[in-house]
Amino acid sequence: MNLEKHKATPKGNALHALRRRLSDPTNVLQSWDPTLVNPCTWFHVTCDSTNHVIRLDLGNSNISGTLGPELGQLQHLQYLELYKNNIGGKIPNELGNLKNLVGMDLYGNRFEGEIPKSFAGLKSLRFLRLNNNNLTGSIPRELTALSNLKVLDVSDNDLCGTIPVDGPFAMFSMPSYANNKRLNGPELKGLVPYDFGC
Amino acid sequence: MERLSSCRLFTVFIAFHVLFVHQSKGLNSEGQCLLDIKSSLGDKFNHLANWNPNDPTPCGWKGVNCTTIDAYTPVVQSLNLSSMNLSGFLSPKIGGLVHLTTLDLSHNGLSRNIPKEIGYCSSLEILNLNDNAFEAQIPKELGRLSCLTTLNIVNNRLSGPLPDEIGNLSSLSQLLAYSNNISGSLPSSLWNLKRLTSFRAGQNLLTGSLPSSIASCESLEYLGLAQNELTGEIPREIGKLNNLRELILWENQLSGLIPEELSNCTSLSTLALYDNKLVGRIPKELGSLMNLTKLYLYRNQLNGTIPKEFGNLSFAEQIDFSENMLTGEIPVELSKIKGLTLLYLFENQLTGVIPVELTSLKNLSKLDLSINFLTGPIPMGFQYLTKLIMFQLFDNSLSGSIPQKLGAYSPLWVLDLSDNQLMGRIPNHLCRNSSLIFLNLGLNKLTGKIPSGITNCKSLVQLLLAGNSLIGSLPSDLCKLVNLSAVELGQNKFSGPIPPEIGNCRSLQRLHLSYNNFTSELPREIGNLSRLAIFNVSSNSLTGRIPPEIFNCRMLQRLDLSRNRFTGRLPAEVGALSQLELLKLSDNNLSGAIPPALGNLLRLTELQMGGNSFNGNIPAELGALSSLQIALNLSYNNLSGAIPSELGNIVLLENLVLNNNHLSGEIPGSFANLSSLLGCNFSYNDLTGPIPSLPRLDNMAVSSFIANNGLCGGPIGGCNPTPSLSLQPDAKDKGTRLGKVVAIVAAVIGGVSLVLIVVILYFMRRPVEIVAPLQEKPTTARVSDIYFSPKEGFTFQDLLEATDNFDESFIVGRGACGTVYKAVLPSGHVIAVKKLASNREGNNNVDNSFRAEILTLGNIRHRNIVKLYGFCNHQGSNLLLYEYMSRGSLGELLHGASCNLDWRTRFLIALGAAQGSYGYIAPEYAYTMKVTEKCDIYSYGVVLLELLTGKTPVQPLDQGGDLVTWVRNYIRNQSLSPGILDAGLNQQDETTVSHMIIVLKIALICTSMSPSERPTMPEVVSMLIESNRRESHFDTSPSHDTS
Repeated sequence: MNLEKHKATPKGNALHALRRRLSDPTNVLQSWDPTLVNPCTWFHVTCDSTNHVIRLDLGNSNISGTLGPELGQLQHLQYLELYKNNIGGKIPNELGNLKNLVGMDLYGNRFEGEIPKSFAGLKSLRFLRLNNNNLTGSIPRELTALSNLKVLDVSDNDLCGTIPVDGPFAMFSMPSYANNKRLNGPELKGLVPYDFGC
Repeated sequence: MERLSSCRLFTVFIAFHVLFVHQSKGLNSEGQCLLDIKSSLGDKFNHLANWNPNDPTPCGWKGVNCTTIDAYTPVVQSLNLSSMNLSGFLSPKIGGLVHLTTLDLSHNGLSRNIPKEIGYCSSLEILNLNDNAFEAQIPKELGRLSCLTTLNIVNNRLSGPLPDEIGNLSSLSQLLAYSNNISGSLPSSLWNLKRLTSFRAGQNLLTGSLPSSIASCESLEYLGLAQNELTGEIPREIGKLNNLRELILWENQLSGLIPEELSNCTSLSTLALYDNKLVGRIPKELGSLMNLTKLYLYRNQLNGTIPKEFGNLSFAEQIDFSENMLTGEIPVELSKIKGLTLLYLFENQLTGVIPVELTSLKNLSKLDLSINFLTGPIPMGFQYLTKLIMFQLFDNSLSGSIPQKLGAYSPLWVLDLSDNQLMGRIPNHLCRNSSLIFLNLGLNKLTGKIPSGITNCKSLVQLLLAGNSLIGSLPSDLCKLVNLSAVELGQNKFSGPIPPEIGNCRSLQRLHLSYNNFTSELPREIGNLSRLAIFNVSSNSLTGRIPPEIFNCRMLQRLDLSRNRFTGRLPAEVGALSQLELLKLSDNNLSGAIPPALGNLLRLTELQMGGNSFNGNIPAELGALSSLQIALNLSYNNLSGAIPSELGNIVLLENLVLNNNHLSGEIPGSFANLSSLLGCNFSYNDLTGPIPSLPRLDNMAVSSFIANNGLCGGPIGGCNPTPSLSLQPDAKDKGTRLGKVVAIVAAVIGGVSLVLIVVILYFMRRPVEIVAPLQEKPTTARVSDIYFSPKEGFTFQDLLEATDNFDESFIVGRGACGTVYKAVLPSGHVIAVKKLASNREGNNNVDNSFRAEILTLGNIRHRNIVKLYGFCNHQGSNLLLYEYMSRGSLGELLHGASCNLDWRTRFLIALGAAQGSYGYIAPEYAYTMKVTEKCDIYSYGVVLLELLTGKTPVQPLDQGGDLVTWVRNYIRNQSLSPGILDAGLNQQDETTVSHMIIVLKIALICTSMSPSERPTMPEVVSMLIESNRRESHFDTSPSHDTS
């Protein structure tokens, strides 16, 4: 057990923890040096002028492994771009802590488990693309609270139940939900119960 | 126990009947046990080759040691197979070796579980199973080994809890279990082990808290539980462990205060409590721990000041309080700790000056006071510390100059003084001992040139001097530093050319030279920097062409050449930079065509090319930039021709800036696919025609479209009054239209209850009058315009009052695209108001589905569709007004909990409705927007299927998503059998069932995929009547008819 410590701020810790969870055959994360005081010089990481991480661009990077709760510490993160990789496991609930997140692109991976209800905390979220994964369960009704959400894509998963109709869901069209074998049509409240559960 | 091995039986036998010690033939029983054990081991290096079955005893075998009992009998006393690259598993036969006192199988690759039979080895004193791949739970039978003094199971894959029975091991002195997956809380029996001196179970999944009974574990010297999930407070009783030397509890979830009673643990040498949730002050009493050498309290939530009593820790070597919330000044008393080598106080809220006295700490090698509020100068004395290798004071408010002899007397590795107010020059001796790796003096007020002592520092890897007032040229000597990977000189006053020697920095990955006064051309030697990932020369005065060689830097991720005076073309070779994420060329004098090869940059997230003189067309290839997200900016160029519709493929794009060019033609309809677009600018071009329904059009300012050649619609309005684009989209607009139509279908399916209102009304009620047709040009609808049948005579205000401004309590139903309210008008007339989803965000899909529904229902002047009274728009919401049907809908009756419609009723509904049901949209309608008589038949067929199957028109997507597909699938898989019929229908009577099957066939014809195959409605009616005549003979006389 190593008692010596590396000097890194929590932001760097969060990203370094991410690196430890990921397998990176093409070395896109090679520059992620945990001994640096902040991760702003790491490749695929963008900081604002006050050295807060605002973007993580690792789409299409041939990385695998899982995500951990540490990512939830990147309080200033605006864009989490991890699309088209081979990342599996559950989507950490802690991602719901990213209050400044504008875009979350996790599509084209092997994520499983449910869409976290905690995503209701993503108050700034405009773009949520989770398509082409192995997500199960129903679409959390909590997401109807995401008043800024403009784009949703959960197609090509294994979701079930019905599609919410409230809040931003009123404007999403059917291609957002395509290819979910157990997903029924839109939720019809009131007279006729069309929600068959899941 | 229940299945004792013969080996075990035999050895028990031996224990009581010594006369049978020698077997008459060959190997004794313990030898036999060992052979059995060997048989479950993989031994690829043949370490156990001399385990010969023909030996009388195993005592000469490798790893086996014997002793004798009763002066004659050799028995196996120890078995040591450590580090033999063994694989396989440990056989339960191990339980036969009852005289074993030492078993060492460590450092092999043994897997599976630890056999519970090991509990029979009752003489065991030392059990080393560490560094294998043992898994599953730790057997509770271990608790029988009452002689055990050492149990080492470190570095396996053991899971489950530590068994309670461990507490029976009264002789145990060493319990080593770290690096497993052991879970659960620590058994309370554990703390009864009076002889336990070392308990190490770090890096497991242990939960629960440390109990106060820990105090009874009185011999404990080493307690290591780091990297678990322990919670609760550290019990103050821990202070009774006066033999404790090392307390290692880092990376848990421990909370509360650090107990001051720890100061009673006078033997304590290492205290590691970092990375927990400890709060409160650091107890000053800890200053009396005279034997303490390492004190790690970092990464907690400690507050208060650093106690001056810590100056009494005269044996301390390392003190780390960083990443807390400590306030006040750094106590001068720390300078009394002569042996201190490491002092980390960074990331706190410390104030005041750095005590000059700290410079008397002659052994100090690592000092980090960064990220605090320290003021004043850097004490000059630090420059004389001969052991100082890491010196970091960044992000404070330090002023004055940097001690100029820093580095002269010590082998400095790391110096980071960035983000302060330091003035004066960069010291020349920082690399005197040729060991400097990392130098960051950025964001200060330093002046002068980079001294030669730096430019000749061969060990240097990172040189970060950005944000100062440094002058001079980029020293060509710098390029002799072969280890250099990062050079940041931006925001200074450097001038002159970038020397060609830069090409020698073969390790260079980051080169930031922006915001200086660099002049002349970029040297082509940049192309030699094969590892260069970030190159930023923005905002200088560089001239000439962009050297094509730069595109040999295949690792480039960010290339920023913006705000210079580059001329000439952008070489097509730029397309070879497959790793490029950011390309900024804006505000230069570049000309020529935009190379289509830019479309190869599949990782590009931002492309800035504005403010140049690029001409020609925008290459359609840019549509392939699938990662482009932040911006595509081609503004202020001389681009002409049409905007390629392929740009509509860049679905992640958020900003599209094309203004101030000479672009002509229409804005492609494909731009409706740019679902992520937050901003755009098309102004000052020669664009014509209607603005397509951009997804966020309402967020786009009018100024984004002005100064064109007849651009109209959208926010600027003014398109001529022919039916608008959104209702008659042009042929190029397929993708968008599909999206819209799907929304329409969703809306209509969502409104199924309403359609069924019509149907049941037709069936149940009086004839209704024909209401005047609706406006045929819904595009002329304006906010709060309201259209009614002229006969009705109620106002919009009436609607508001009747629904209490659309209060929840008036809701009678919800659909995918809207909510249905019941409104009782002043006249007593009851209507249903369907409020389509809010349009306040300028959601065109909903708007279009609204208009489509109006068009569909309004244009078909079928006499049985009069239930639609009108429509209006209120505060961005579209309202549809229908006749209210108080008896509920067919849907409710059919699909609700109490389904009691018999077949006769259903058939009569079907027959009665045969002259009109709309709303269920046929596929060709979805694609062509043409409503034909054939669509009506399809819709009717869906109603028939509903009546027959009892299923809703919305079906799980994997079963086709709709009832028609579901029925087709069912028939394809299981033939046309009665199983498809609603189980709620009485299927006892054969003629009824065959009637239903005939009607099902009629429904299938009606829902035929090809419109030409569908019958007309009169044909359907006659088929139904004929089917009834032949099979069921229901009375179809006009008592249920409506006309």
